[in-house]
Amino acid sequence: MPDPSFVFAQSLSGLTAAMFLFLIASGLSLIFGVLRVLNFAHGTFYMLGAYSAYQLVQWLGPGPGRFWIAALGAALAIAVLGGLVERLLFRHLYGKEELYQLLFTYALVLILSDVAKIVWGTQQKSVSRPPELTGSLSLFGAIVPHYNLLILLLGPSIALAFWFVLQKTRAGRVIRAAALDRETLGALGVNVDRLYTLVFMLGSFLGGLGGALIAPMRATVPGMDTEIIVEAFVVVVIGGLGSFWGTFLGALIYGQVLSFGILFFPRFSIFAVFALMAAVLIVRPWGLLGRPLQ
Amino acid sequence: MRRRTMLVALLTVVLLVPLAAEAQKPIKVGMPMPLSGPPALFGDPAAKGAQMFVEELNAKGGVLGRKIELLVRDSKADANEAVRVARELILKDNVDFLVGTLTSAEGPAVSVVAKENKIVFIAPIPKTDQLTAADKLHPYVFRVAATTTMEGRSAAEIVAKWPVTRIATMSFDYAYGQDVTKAFVEHLKKIKPGAQVVDQQWPKLGEQDYNPFINAQMAKKPEAIFSSIWGGFFVTYSKQAKALGVFDAIKYNFIGVGEAATPETTKSMGPDYPVGIWGNSYDAFYWGETAAHRDYVARLSKYLKDEYPSSWAIQGYIGMQFLVEAIKKANSTDSDKVAHALLGLAVETPVGRLTIREKDHQANRGQLYGKTARDPKYPFAIMKPAVYVDPSPFMD
Repeated sequence: MPDPSFVFAQSLSGLTAAMFLFLIASGLSLIFGVLRVLNFAHGTFYMLGAYSAYQLVQWLGPGPGRFWIAALGAALAIAVLGGLVERLLFRHLYGKEELYQLLFTYALVLILSDVAKIVWGTQQKSVSRPPELTGSLSLFGAIVPHYNLLILLLGPSIALAFWFVLQKTRAGRVIRAAALDRETLGALGVNVDRLYTLVFMLGSFLGGLGGALIAPMRATVPGMDTEIIVEAFVVVVIGGLGSFWGTFLGALIYGQVLSFGILFFPRFSIFAVFALMAAVLIVRPWGLLGRPLQ
Repeated sequence: MRRRTMLVALLTVVLLVPLAAEAQKPIKVGMPMPLSGPPALFGDPAAKGAQMFVEELNAKGGVLGRKIELLVRDSKADANEAVRVARELILKDNVDFLVGTLTSAEGPAVSVVAKENKIVFIAPIPKTDQLTAADKLHPYVFRVAATTTMEGRSAAEIVAKWPVTRIATMSFDYAYGQDVTKAFVEHLKKIKPGAQVVDQQWPKLGEQDYNPFINAQMAKKPEAIFSSIWGGFFVTYSKQAKALGVFDAIKYNFIGVGEAATPETTKSMGPDYPVGIWGNSYDAFYWGETAAHRDYVARLSKYLKDEYPSSWAIQGYIGMQFLVEAIKKANSTDSDKVAHALLGLAVETPVGRLTIREKDHQANRGQLYGKTARDPKYPFAIMKPAVYVDPSPFMD
């Protein structure tokens, strides 16, 4: 029987990983839910978010509060980039076959990752943890870094904010309506084109914010885009593509399976996650909380 | 009579023309090297080190009166892709030799291609023992990198001197991680029988979230940790380990092989680097033990336009150096003759005299090891002192 403080630490680290993945995957899921486009380049937006945060930190220099400005600035920059990509390129893909969308977004992955390499080179970049959050606290015998705690709290806050906006506001109702029937919504006088751009920007913002917030915990390197997109896909496939709470649930499961997997079968924890995904795909192809596609 | 002389002269000229043209044709060297993805951090500078050597050599007239043409291709750090570009270099570009590959997956894969095509292949970076193991060895494969045996044992020699007995390991679950960890553990148990391995973690190659592995490891209360999390991945690992208080808990009794103490890594992490741990590196611009090294660093610094030039360039440089010295010794570009010349060949490299052993085609390439510390001269940590560990005593 493992030590309870260790079990606690392990579940916390699983929870942190889950909340962070949720941040990324919710953007992916939102875009799919409304626009019905599987944005393969979402991981690239995440990577560009990390690089932008690095760049802004370099420009702003060290100091209290600077990191948060950089992170927010990076996320906004990625939102603008997302908006441009949607306006100029994605627009032509709506209603086309999935294959075209996949090929197009994949091309975007290749192009943007090369652009990143030209701008920032191939050397690893590193962002320090913000000075106000370098400490850690001891909780039931487990060491919890303050920064991880922030990520841990940020996940549910964003989830709640989203839920509130989608369920309780007019904008949310419009977005939900757009996911169901775009044409009727247009006939009712809603500017659907603008709505799509805004949703895409919001999704990109979440991806960029995820990248910026992870920069202090990881190395910022070329290739981090494709690593995260695989994980984000696993999460949305388990939870249900386009389902908001499904993504949340998928992330929680992913984090815990990975954390405790290494306890029981140390060398196969990643296998456990993929086995789970395969099982979900066989039993409920639309994911745990998703709806079957018509 | 006169006509006959003319005819003979003409014939001689005709015969000589292709020979002269042959002498002018450059010697082509193919280099499959990762130029994209995280391993490009090392592949890119290694290729540039080779390129610098080639440019310097060509400026002096080349070798055997011929220039060298280096063809670098992106192997994407993938065994299949490395094999594909190696084949393409041989069949389409007609390269005479192969120098390259980085990961322990690519090296053995390309070695098979070299064997099939009977072309000399010098591996400058892959460390897995399997590349030159008795059952995989063939006349055309050579290595100027360290091996997992040499690296693991060098680390064990250092850890054996620490006042600790409870040791844990953290390595990626693939050829390099497994082999180097095994070499470390076996050698440590041999030279320090009281040592006890209390935990071994095996994250997948390229893991991004080490928290669960670190928690599981620290729960076993180790006194020292051996890690082979390499390159850019070490940045991610050590940031997360530092946040969880790992280095303080084990009093910095930590050794990171897989080049955890390269200037590139300490530079990119700046104040976040866990200063006080031990690490290794193929090279360090500040080492400068020999005049040859100081001269090399000055040239490289100019070539890369970098005040603190890369520690990976040296491997591409040495790989090309061995090839060219072997061509000189063989006085030929025939792969069989060059392969023969490489056996037992000793070369004065910027890090000292290295020799390729006849029995396993392996150079006695050691690495720099040291405890990291801050230095007022640089805005990042350095190995202080950086000591070149000669692996000759424990290569077998």
